[in-house]
Amino acid sequence: MHRRLVTLSAGTALLATCLGSPFAAAEDVIKIGIPVGLSGANSVVAPSVVQSAELAVDEINAKGGILGKKVVLEVADDGSGAAGAQKAFDSLIFQKKVDVLITMETSAARNAGLPIVTRGKTPFIYTSFYEGRSCNRYMYVNAWVPDQQVAPIVDYFMKKDKAKTFFLIGSDYAFGRGMLEFTAKYIKSKGGTVLGEEYLPMDGSDWTAIIGNLKAAKPDALITSTAGGAPNVTLTKQLRAAGVNIPYGNLAVDEGTAKSMGTDAEGIFISASYFTNIDSPKNKQFLAAMQKKFGADLKTPNDLSVPEYEAVYAYKMAVEKVGTTAADKVIPALAGVAVDGPRGVIKMNKQRHAPLTMYLAQVQKDGSVKVLETFKNVDPGNQCPNLK
Amino acid sequence: MAQVFDVITTAAILYAVAAGLLIVFGVMKIINFAHGGFLTVGGYSALLVTELGLNPWWSAGFAFAIGFVCGMIIERLVVRPLYARPLDAILATWGLGIILGQLITLGFGREVQFVRSPLSGAIDLLGASYSQYRLILVLAAVAVALALGLLLNATRLGLQTRAVIMNESLARGLGINSGLVRFLTFSLGSALASLAGALITPLSSVDPNMGVPWLVNAFMLVLVSGVSQLSLGVACLVLGGAQVLVSTYANPVLGGLTIVVLAAVLLRLRPQGFARE
Amino acid sequence: MNSVPAPGVSALASDTLRRRSDLRRLLILAIAALMLITIGPVLLPTYLVNNLIRAFLYASVALTVDVLWGYTGILTFGQSAFFGIGAYAAGLIFTHAGFSPAHAALALAAGIAVSALAAVLVGWLAFYHGASPLYASVVTLVLPIVVAQILYSGGNFTGSSSGLSGFDSFDVSLEAWFRIAGAYLVLLTAAAWLFVRSDAGRVLVAIRENEPRCEYLGLNVSRIKILLLTACAVIAAIAGYAFASVQMVVAPEYAGFVFGTELVIWVALGGRGTLIGPVIGTLLIDVSTAYLSGNLPFVWKLIVGLAFVVVIVALPQGLAPLVMRMFRRGPKLHADKMALQPASEEPLAGLASAGRHAIALAGVRKHFGSLQVLEGIDFQADHGELLSLVGPNGAGKTTLMRCIGDGAERSAGTIQVNDADIERKPPYECVALGVGRKFQNANTFETLTVAESLRIARTRLRKPSMWTRAASLELPDAALRVIQATGLDQKATVQVRHLPHGQKQALELAMVLALEPSVLLLDEPTAGLTKAERTLIGQILVELTSQHRLCILLVEHDLDFVREISSRVIVLHQGRIVLDGTVAEVVESELVRTIYAGGAGMGAAQR
Repeated sequence: MHRRLVTLSAGTALLATCLGSPFAAAEDVIKIGIPVGLSGANSVVAPSVVQSAELAVDEINAKGGILGKKVVLEVADDGSGAAGAQKAFDSLIFQKKVDVLITMETSAARNAGLPIVTRGKTPFIYTSFYEGRSCNRYMYVNAWVPDQQVAPIVDYFMKKDKAKTFFLIGSDYAFGRGMLEFTAKYIKSKGGTVLGEEYLPMDGSDWTAIIGNLKAAKPDALITSTAGGAPNVTLTKQLRAAGVNIPYGNLAVDEGTAKSMGTDAEGIFISASYFTNIDSPKNKQFLAAMQKKFGADLKTPNDLSVPEYEAVYAYKMAVEKVGTTAADKVIPALAGVAVDGPRGVIKMNKQRHAPLTMYLAQVQKDGSVKVLETFKNVDPGNQCPNLK
Repeated sequence: MAQVFDVITTAAILYAVAAGLLIVFGVMKIINFAHGGFLTVGGYSALLVTELGLNPWWSAGFAFAIGFVCGMIIERLVVRPLYARPLDAILATWGLGIILGQLITLGFGREVQFVRSPLSGAIDLLGASYSQYRLILVLAAVAVALALGLLLNATRLGLQTRAVIMNESLARGLGINSGLVRFLTFSLGSALASLAGALITPLSSVDPNMGVPWLVNAFMLVLVSGVSQLSLGVACLVLGGAQVLVSTYANPVLGGLTIVVLAAVLLRLRPQGFARE
Repeated sequence: MNSVPAPGVSALASDTLRRRSDLRRLLILAIAALMLITIGPVLLPTYLVNNLIRAFLYASVALTVDVLWGYTGILTFGQSAFFGIGAYAAGLIFTHAGFSPAHAALALAAGIAVSALAAVLVGWLAFYHGASPLYASVVTLVLPIVVAQILYSGGNFTGSSSGLSGFDSFDVSLEAWFRIAGAYLVLLTAAAWLFVRSDAGRVLVAIRENEPRCEYLGLNVSRIKILLLTACAVIAAIAGYAFASVQMVVAPEYAGFVFGTELVIWVALGGRGTLIGPVIGTLLIDVSTAYLSGNLPFVWKLIVGLAFVVVIVALPQGLAPLVMRMFRRGPKLHADKMALQPASEEPLAGLASAGRHAIALAGVRKHFGSLQVLEGIDFQADHGELLSLVGPNGAGKTTLMRCIGDGAERSAGTIQVNDADIERKPPYECVALGVGRKFQNANTFETLTVAESLRIARTRLRKPSMWTRAASLELPDAALRVIQATGLDQKATVQVRHLPHGQKQALELAMVLALEPSVLLLDEPTAGLTKAERTLIGQILVELTSQHRLCILLVEHDLDFVREISSRVIVLHQGRIVLDGTVAEVVESELVRTIYAGGAGMGAAQR
C-alpha cells in the first residue's frame, strides 16, 4: 500500500517535470512546422526539403520576417509513415504550437496527420506531388496530381515507342495505388493494355518476384510509382541488375534521387514540374542562393523540395495580406496569392490545387536531365469539388 | 528457368544470413536476437567502404572483421551471464540489437543510404537473363558453407566445438575449454552475420533497421534445422522456395510470411524440424 | 507480524480483518486514481492529455503482458497483434461501412470475436502438451508478423502501408476520451490485482514455477493458458478499438512485432510480476519518449535500450522493486493464514467394487531410439497393496512410474488404472483416473507458501475463486495427517523454498494426497530424510494402504524401508521384471543377490 503511494507520487513527480518543459513563453515568432520523413522511405529526399525551407526562411528573415516577426522552423521526423506522422503532427501542433505546417510527406503520413490538423485547426500546405483527391478544410496543395503528370509519359511511349502493352509496379499504399489506378485508366482510354499491376509495401525492398513477373509478361513499357526515395532506388537497381531495359517511366522519382542512382538511372523518363535546368531568371537566382548557402552540402533541388520553398513564400504573402496568422483568415487568403518562384507563377486557386507547367524529361548517362517536351498551365482537374 | 534461379539465389541468401545464427544456437543454445543488429553492422561496413572510395569487393572481408570484433566485445559483456536463461537471452540480445541500431544511427544518420554494387547487370545463363550479383551470392553462400564445414569437421577447434554442441558438461569434463569455444563461436557467428549484411546490401539499401526483417526469418530457419548445416541448407531451399513461389504467384507480401508460418506449423507437427533424429 | 497461533477462530478473525483492509486499500487507491483522472484534462496541457490517452491504452495492454509473462511465465510478443485486430476492426468498419451506434457496436463485437478466435488458434498451436517455452514464445512472435503482413497485403481494403484514416468516429471530446481510457486502465488494474492475488491467480504462479507439477496435480495447463490468453487478447483488442476511435488512424505498425517487443520492454523495465510496475513504467516511458525524442531522438532510445539490457541481465525484477525497496518498511507479508479443515473424501467410492485391479500393465515397452528401457512389463496391483519397485540404477524404475503417470510415455502395451485404459492420456487426465505421482526430488512450488501449495493441489476438486482467497481449506484425512505429523500446519504462511528438505518432501506428499488419488506413485520418498522422518512416512504409507485402501507403488533404494512396509516387491533388472513376490521371497532370492552383487553397496540382500 505504502509502496503504491510512493510509486504513484514518483510517477506524478516525473510527469510534472515533463509538464515544465513545453511551457514556452509565448515568443514573438512565427513557427513553421515541418513533419517530414527524416527516417524511412522518404529519408533520401527529406534533407533537400528542409534545405529549401531553410533558404526561404533565411531570405524572409533577412527582409524583416513576416509582419515584423522572425520566422522559425520546427522539424519533426514522421518516419515516412502513419504511426510516425501521428507523433510528429501531435508534437508540432500541440507541443510546439506551430502556426502552420508546410511540408512534403508520403500519403500515408499525410492521411494520418490530417485528423490532427483538423483537431488543431492549423493551416497545412502540402508540397508533395501525390495521387490526388485528398481534401481537408485546412489544406492546400502546390504540387502536381496525376491529372497533370501521367499523360505526358503514356502519350510519349505510345507515340514514340509504339507501346501498346504496359506493366505497372508500385508501392502498396494510397499514393502507389492511386497513381497507378489513374494510369491504368488513362492507358485503357488511349487503347493500350495493362499486362500486370504489382505492389510491394512501402518499406519493402525485395522486388525479385515482381521483376520475375515483369520479365515473363514481356510488356512494351514499364511505369512505376513507388514512394519517393528509397524504394525508387532499390527497384531501379534490381531492374537494371536483372537486365530490364524497356522504356521505363517513373512517376515518382525526383531529380535528386535519380542522380544518386548513378548509371542505373540512365534512360528513365520523368514527368515533373521542376528540373534544375529550367531556363528562367527566378530559377537561376534560386539555385545560386542555394549554392551559396549550402555549398558542398547542397542536396539537388528537385520536384519534391522546390514546392516547399514556394509554399513558405505563399504563406508569407497570405499572412501579410490579411495581417494575422489566425487560421480562419489565412486559409481563404492562400487561394488568392500568386508566388513567382523557380517553377514560375503559381496560384493554388483550383479547388485548393494549382495549375502547373509540366515537363517531360529523360535522365542522361551523366545523371543530368534532358527536357523533351513542355506543357504550359496544365489544369489539376476536379480534386476537391466540395471545398470552396 | 529464371524462377529456378530465383529459388536458388533466395535460398543462398537465406543461408548466408542464417549460418551465423545456427552456430550460435548450436553451441550456446541461445537465440541471438542481436543477429539483426550485426547484419546492420555489416551493411554499414559496406557503406564505409563505399564512402572511403575503396573497391566494393573489400566490403565482405571488412564486414567480417568488424563483426568479429563486435561479437567479441558483446560476448564478454552481455551474453556470458545469460547462458542459463534462454528466454532472457532472447530479450537481452534484442535490447542489444536496439543499442547497435542506435549507435549506428548516431554515427551514420538515420536516413536510407546506398552502397555501390561490385557487380552489376545481367548475364545470360542457361537461356535466362539473370542478375550477375545474385548468382555470385550463390557462390558466396556455398563458400561460407564449405568454410564452416571445414572449420567444424577438419580442425581441432571444430572438433571441440562439436563436442560442446553435443554435451557441454561432458566436454568440459574432458578438458575442453568450453568458455573459449563459446567466445569464439559467438564472435564467428557475429562475423558471419556482418558478412551476410555486407553481401545483401548492394541489392537494396542500408538503414538502421535493415536487419530486423531478416532476423525473424533466420530465426525460424534455425529452429527448423536443429544444429545441422545440412538441414539448414535443406530448410533454406524448401522454405525459401516456398517463399519465391508464393511471392510470384500470389502476393509478395504473403510471400514474406511463408517462411515464418510454414516453420511454425512444421515445428508443431515435428518438433525437431528438418533435423534427422 | 503475529506469532503463529493455533488454527482456530482467532486466526480466522484476523484473516478476515486483514483481507477486508486490503480490499479497502484497493478501493481507496482506485477512487483516488479515478479522481485524478477526472480532473486531469482540466489541469494538464493538451499535448500531455493526448499522449496520456495513448499511454493509458498501451498500459492496459502492458498489464496483459505482465499477467501472461510476469505471473504465468509465458513470454509473449504477440499482444500487439490483438491490439491491432481491435484497432482495425474499428478502422475497417468505420471506413467501409460508415459510423453509427450500430456500426460501433458491430466493430467492437468483431474486434473481440476475431481476437478471441486468434487467441484460441495461437493457444492451440503454442500451448500443446509438451511444448517448450521457447516454441510458445516463437509462436507469439510469429502472430504479430502474420497479422501485420495480412494487413499489408490488403491493398485498398486495409489501406496497406498507409493504413486507414479520416474515418468518422465517436463524437467525444479529448477530455472525455482521457477519462474513458484512464478509467479503463484503473478498473483493469484493480481487477487484475484482485485476480492475481486470488486463489485462481496463484494457479498461474504455480504454472510458471513448475508446470509439470501442475499437470500431475490434474490441472489442464494447456486449457488454462488458452483461456488466459483469450481473456488477455480481448482486453488488448478493446484497448485497440478505443485507440482507433480516438486517433482516427490505424496503421499496420500498431499490430506489428516491434510494438509487441516494446510492450515487453516496458514490462521488464517496470518490473515483471508486479502489475503496478508495468503500468507506471509504460506511462513514464511512453510520455517521456514523446517529450524527449523530439530533442534527443537517438540518445533517448539508446538509454532505454541500455536500461533494458541492464535490467534483463542484472535486475530481472525490473526497476520498480529497487525503488520500492528504498521505501519498504518491514519484511514482506506473505499470504494470509488459511484454516485447514478435514474434507469429506471418498477416493474409492465405487471404485473398489467396480474394478478388479488398481493398476494393470500388459506388454508395456519403452524404447528411446534403439535403446530398450522397458520390455515385456506385465503385472497387476490391487487396492490395499503396498508394492515396492526395486532394482539397480538404470533398471527402468522411474521410467515405469512415468509410463503409469503419463499415457503418452510408453512405446507399446496397455496400462489400466481402476480398469480404465489410460491410452495416450496426458498426465492431467491420468490424475482424473485416480493416479497421484510424487517425484523423486521435492517437486514443489518454490515461491508459494505451504497453504497456497495445498490449495493448488485441491484445485482439481475445488474450483478456485477468481477474485478472493478462500479463508479455509479442506484436506482429506491422509493429507491432514501428513501435515500435522510433520509440523507443516505451523508453517502455513512460510514460503516453500524456506522449508528444510524433509518438510518439502512431506509437503509434496501431502499435495499428492490432497488429490484424493486411489493409486499413489512414489519415487524414492525417503531420499534425504532422517531416520525419524523415514519411520513416520513409513507409518503413514502403511496406514494409507490399510485404512484408506490406496494402492501404493513405491520406488525405493533403501531396502530396509522396503522390507518394513511393503506387502509385495517387484524387482526390475535391465528393463524386465525378474521377480515379483512377497518381501520374504525376494529377500531370500539368489537372483536378487547376484543382481545386486554386480553393483556396490547393497542392503538387505547381504543381510
